Amino acid sequence: MFGVQYSVTPTTEHRTLNTEYGLMSTVLKQEKPSSLKGENTPVKPVGETYVWVTAMGLAIGLAMILFLLALILYNGIGVFWPRHVALIEFAEESDTRFHGGTRALGVVVLEQERDVRDLTPEQIASPHAVDRREKQLFMGNRDAFGQAFAFFGAGDIANITYPRHVIRAERMEWGDAIFFPLRIERGDGRTVSADDPEFEPLLRRLTDEAVARRKEINRIERFQIGRINLQMRDLELEDRFFQRIETLTEGDEQAWARVRERIEVLQAQYDPLAERAGALRERQRADTLVYEVVTGQERQMPIGELVGYYYPNQLSVIGKTRLFFAQIWHFLSGHPREANTEGGIFPAIFGTFVMTLIMSIAVMPFGVMAAIYLREYARQGPFVRSVRIAINNLAGVPSIVFGIFGLGFFVYFVGGSIDRMFYDNALPTPTFGTGGILWASLTLALMTVPVVIVATEEALAAVSRGVREGSLACGASKWQTIQHLVLPASAPGILTGLVLAMARGAGEVAPLMLVGVVALAPNLPIDGMFPFIHLERKFMHLGFHIYDLGFQSPDSEAAKPMVFATTLVLILVVVVLNLAAIMIRNHLKKKYAAGTF
Amino acid sequence: MEGTEGWVDISVNGTPSKPLPERFVVAPATLWFDRFMNHFIKVGGLSIIVAVSLIFFFILLQILPLFRGARVQEYGSLPVPPGDYVLMGTDEWSELPFLLDTAGSLHFVDTVEPDGPHDRGHFVRAPAFLEEVEAAVVRYNEYQARLAYGTVDGRFAIVDVKYRPTFPDRGGREVLVNLEETPLLSIGREGVALDMIAYGDSGARKLAAAVQQVDGRYELHVVSLAQRRTLLGPGELRVDQAYDLTDYLDGEPAHVVIPSDADALLIAMQDGRVRYLHYDGRVFTERQVFQPFADLANSRIASMDFLLGDVSIVMTSVSGENRMYSIYRDPDKDMRIWGHTKTFASMDHAAAFYSAGMRNKSFLIGSGRFASLRYATTKQIRWEDELPFDIRLALLGPRYDRLLFLDAEDTLHFYDLRDPHPQAGWKTYFAKIQYEGQAEASYAWQSTGGRDDFERKLSLVPLIIGTLKGTFYAMFFALPIALMAALYTSQFLKPEIKRFVKPTMEIMASLPSVVLGFLAALWLAPIVSNAVPSVILAVVGVTVSAYTFGYVWGHLPPHIRLRLKPGYEFIVFVPVMCLAAYACWTLGPVMERTFFLVTDPSTGLQVADFRLWFPTVTGLGFEQRNAFVVGFVMGFAVIPIIFTISEDALSNVPDAFRSGSLALGASRWQTAVNIVLPTASAGIFSAIMIGLGRAVGETMIVVMATGNTPVTELNPFTGMRTLSANIAVELPEAPYLGTLYRTLFLGAFVLFLMTFIVNTVAEILRQHLREKYRAVE
Repeated sequence: MFGVQYSVTPTTEHRTLNTEYGLMSTVLKQEKPSSLKGENTPVKPVGETYVWVTAMGLAIGLAMILFLLALILYNGIGVFWPRHVALIEFAEESDTRFHGGTRALGVVVLEQERDVRDLTPEQIASPHAVDRREKQLFMGNRDAFGQAFAFFGAGDIANITYPRHVIRAERMEWGDAIFFPLRIERGDGRTVSADDPEFEPLLRRLTDEAVARRKEINRIERFQIGRINLQMRDLELEDRFFQRIETLTEGDEQAWARVRERIEVLQAQYDPLAERAGALRERQRADTLVYEVVTGQERQMPIGELVGYYYPNQLSVIGKTRLFFAQIWHFLSGHPREANTEGGIFPAIFGTFVMTLIMSIAVMPFGVMAAIYLREYARQGPFVRSVRIAINNLAGVPSIVFGIFGLGFFVYFVGGSIDRMFYDNALPTPTFGTGGILWASLTLALMTVPVVIVATEEALAAVSRGVREGSLACGASKWQTIQHLVLPASAPGILTGLVLAMARGAGEVAPLMLVGVVALAPNLPIDGMFPFIHLERKFMHLGFHIYDLGFQSPDSEAAKPMVFATTLVLILVVVVLNLAAIMIRNHLKKKYAAGTF
Repeated sequence: MEGTEGWVDISVNGTPSKPLPERFVVAPATLWFDRFMNHFIKVGGLSIIVAVSLIFFFILLQILPLFRGARVQEYGSLPVPPGDYVLMGTDEWSELPFLLDTAGSLHFVDTVEPDGPHDRGHFVRAPAFLEEVEAAVVRYNEYQARLAYGTVDGRFAIVDVKYRPTFPDRGGREVLVNLEETPLLSIGREGVALDMIAYGDSGARKLAAAVQQVDGRYELHVVSLAQRRTLLGPGELRVDQAYDLTDYLDGEPAHVVIPSDADALLIAMQDGRVRYLHYDGRVFTERQVFQPFADLANSRIASMDFLLGDVSIVMTSVSGENRMYSIYRDPDKDMRIWGHTKTFASMDHAAAFYSAGMRNKSFLIGSGRFASLRYATTKQIRWEDELPFDIRLALLGPRYDRLLFLDAEDTLHFYDLRDPHPQAGWKTYFAKIQYEGQAEASYAWQSTGGRDDFERKLSLVPLIIGTLKGTFYAMFFALPIALMAALYTSQFLKPEIKRFVKPTMEIMASLPSVVLGFLAALWLAPIVSNAVPSVILAVVGVTVSAYTFGYVWGHLPPHIRLRLKPGYEFIVFVPVMCLAAYACWTLGPVMERTFFLVTDPSTGLQVADFRLWFPTVTGLGFEQRNAFVVGFVMGFAVIPIIFTISEDALSNVPDAFRSGSLALGASRWQTAVNIVLPTASAGIFSAIMIGLGRAVGETMIVVMATGNTPVTELNPFTGMRTLSANIAVELPEAPYLGTLYRTLFLGAFVLFLMTFIVNTVAEILRQHLREKYRAVE
């Protein structure tokens, strides 16, 4: 196929043969006879240089994708790898100071050439390149320093050490803290100094207890109290309904009384729970960790504020690896904190999953049905051909157009009507008349239905005519043929279409922004509260999470690691779905290859 | 599957005379189910196709109201006591309008339920000072519901008509009214009646002007008013300073107006000249004299009044010409002056009545039986008609929902005005429009502003240009790479490698655009903006290196050259490319230091920085998040699409073509370019089209990686706003079914059409190509 390496020496016959390709014969004629040394001497083929130029196209394309994946992988994974904390001392003669002191403590996250516009004339003139470089330090302690990151001129640094007893702690608020521990002040007045060998085990124990207590508080507040609140809300709506009625019948009066009674019962259940949560919260503040930040300032925090801590400069490789996986697990299973810049992304993963699932349930039957109609039932002609072109094109219509349609049609029109019909009590607060997971899923289903139709149609077309005719000849009905032969044979293609649709749906953000995705949803769309699946709820989504973190968060620098990590998760989901599509296709191909004729 | 419809029938109806053997009898359930599925699939399939095409019609339905004119319909009339009425005003809901007679009394008419149990009928209120002195002239400011009275003895007073809605127990709404008047203040010559009065009040600054006739000569006097604020509320209003501006009058003045900012005075003379006096709080200076109807035989200004916002004046000539002048900053003179901005359709006569809208830039104008509702910004006539009565007074309801007319027979006519989108129209969306305050017409998109009288600018042109700009830079970058890669993969690459290369490139297509946008904005944009020369150098360098390396390789001795089997070139090229890119990257700063020097104005030092150099040399902007970065990153989305489809097209060219060409002695490059490429050209074209469609509709990358500023330039170093990004950014804020909401739907419709047309062309080409190959094979 890629045969000819050497063009044959131009002979008279050859030229005659080539006259049809005038251009080529001229080119061939240009070959200098002097370069020919004999009958079988290789001659440079024409245009080889340009082949290299096209090779460049492929090389760039491949380099782009591989570099991008590597970048995300490196930055996404790197977030979780524990890094050493450096104690940086500035040269006395430099005027770099950190909060008046000459020391800074933190993780060096970046070293780069300084922006020309920030350089002083002396620095530009300096013979040492290091003077024009800078280091970015993650210092944490936002509560103490006001910011978590800072840049320092690399030339001003006199000394870097890695003190062993420094602690990096994750807190409920204010992000991470990096500090030298001083002592623990117990609730009963006892004090354990950081030099004490008991200090470390005690801190570990107290932290574990605090984490366990936090879980308990969360369980009480989120689930038990949350359930009561939900019932309360419904009852209050009923209460409002009765209040609106001008003349109450006897039955109404009784029903109203029952509603009020239940409100009171719930209130009675609520009080002890709230009390218990309050007591636990009180307990969280009992023990205090006193520490010193790099500026020498002494600070303290309740151990109940701690999420976790480690000694970054004491960790072995094994310890780091364990911490690394623990942090990944934490990230995948935790709930977000502090405007999403800390904690985990579980609700976003779950929201993406549920939305994709509902979308698949909606898109699968309809897409397949439309395809069966087009391929098996409709009379092939100009109409079906134009419908096919139109559907093909819908796959290319920008997703935002589907988004605006979803908002106008599903949310405002359909949702608004549902609200007026069934949720009259709650108005003007919309129930379905605002973005929610159902509308988002349906919008994406509409967006991906052309993908499924096209894929299914192609799969149906690939089933040979012989199969159908054989089945019909055996006396099977048309539907039996489709059900038992055509559909199974085309299942790989259909599934591929579905998985591709899922991949597209999972990665899409633009339309979701209009129809119900939020940066922080208080509740998951599926939970243990009746009716378990809450289709009207707003939800979180990995893609939107990235957008929100990177562009809406107050401290985008602090959010960057989280964005990379979330990006990695999203890319994994999408790439795995795409690979799954390919694998399912291959697997089913093998399975049914024997089954079909 | 055609023609298989009948086969069910044979087994059902074609029963032979002999009883059917049992094994041939079809179970009724099977038949029933088959028939059911037959209909089910047909109905279901068709309805899904209909539902999908509904998108198009739904969007169309949302935008149609934008292009509808105003609907005006009379819904009632009410006789009022006969009187010599000179002006009309009303409350916000047009429920309690008043008519002012020549004596200065206000005749209120309750229109809610005439003859109903709570009807207040017709009642008269008059300011208290009218008992003391007679009114000579009255002027009404609709927007502030404020009357300025001039008396026969050279004094004036300001009367506020305070409407107040109450909600009585019986339900509904009842509008109450009372008058708040200032004491009489003197202006100009004492004891001389005022001929004209004008009043402007911005809260902090108050200005009143009066024209008096003294011994047949006209005098113009202006006073500024001051009101001291005390702890107990506003103090007494008193005359602060008096100005005699008679010198500016050279003849009889026709109109005198003061804008509500009280920073200017406009005097129209009988000969049609308008003097614009600017007031800075202390003195009046004449800034400009202009003659709006200088080109007409009779240049006299018949009517002249402000539009909402008081920065435009609508004037009519004696012959019915209707023009608008607006104040804007003149770039040459560097001061705000008036200029002719709009010419409206002429009327048959000079305007007898004029009423400016209080919600938008509309106004009601007309004379005799003729009334016309016009929208200033678009110069569009929203509605006009000959009414069946002579119009004495007319009023445009404050909520832009009512028209009130008083006819010559003392009957008040109420018209219902339905015009939800007065600003919309083809002109707004696609034509250059000179908005108030702008020195020239432009395409502008600015949908929100800080002030109440802010006018939305809704031109889609900058968005379309932004879309095309993004698409252009994306294609500029993606097209060569994708096509070269496709050509190489299909023609020169070893099939064993191709098996891995193609899915890898396809994974690129599955990257969510939000990821690309995030990387573009937070990772790439800062890097690129720091090193533009390096990037440009790297792009050129890699291309040149490919060519040079290929050339050098071709000139190597055959025993070296032939060691590389054909189809592996790109692997050899990868290190070369990396080397070239690295070299160019390091050379970039050197180039910057050599060519892109700017002198820092503050220190006088020479700084090598492309970011500063580019704006100083070209005069265009430089932003970190720019079209260049977006184009590059959008390449990730577009390259795989173009690559896959054109690679398919190239690979599908029948082998006979290629084999024939190669057998005849053409080199592989000659075969690829002269035989394969032309044959697959339609497929490649359709690939480009589909890639184009993707670039046009891309949303997240643009939202994140550009500044989202609407621009109309193609500078690669500034951002843009595309149609799709515009929807994503603005729709969450747009009120349901409002003008902006529908305009965004219009944007979506334009986007839909753009991609749909492009895709259809591509699809038809592809089908055409398929037919062609079929013929060959």
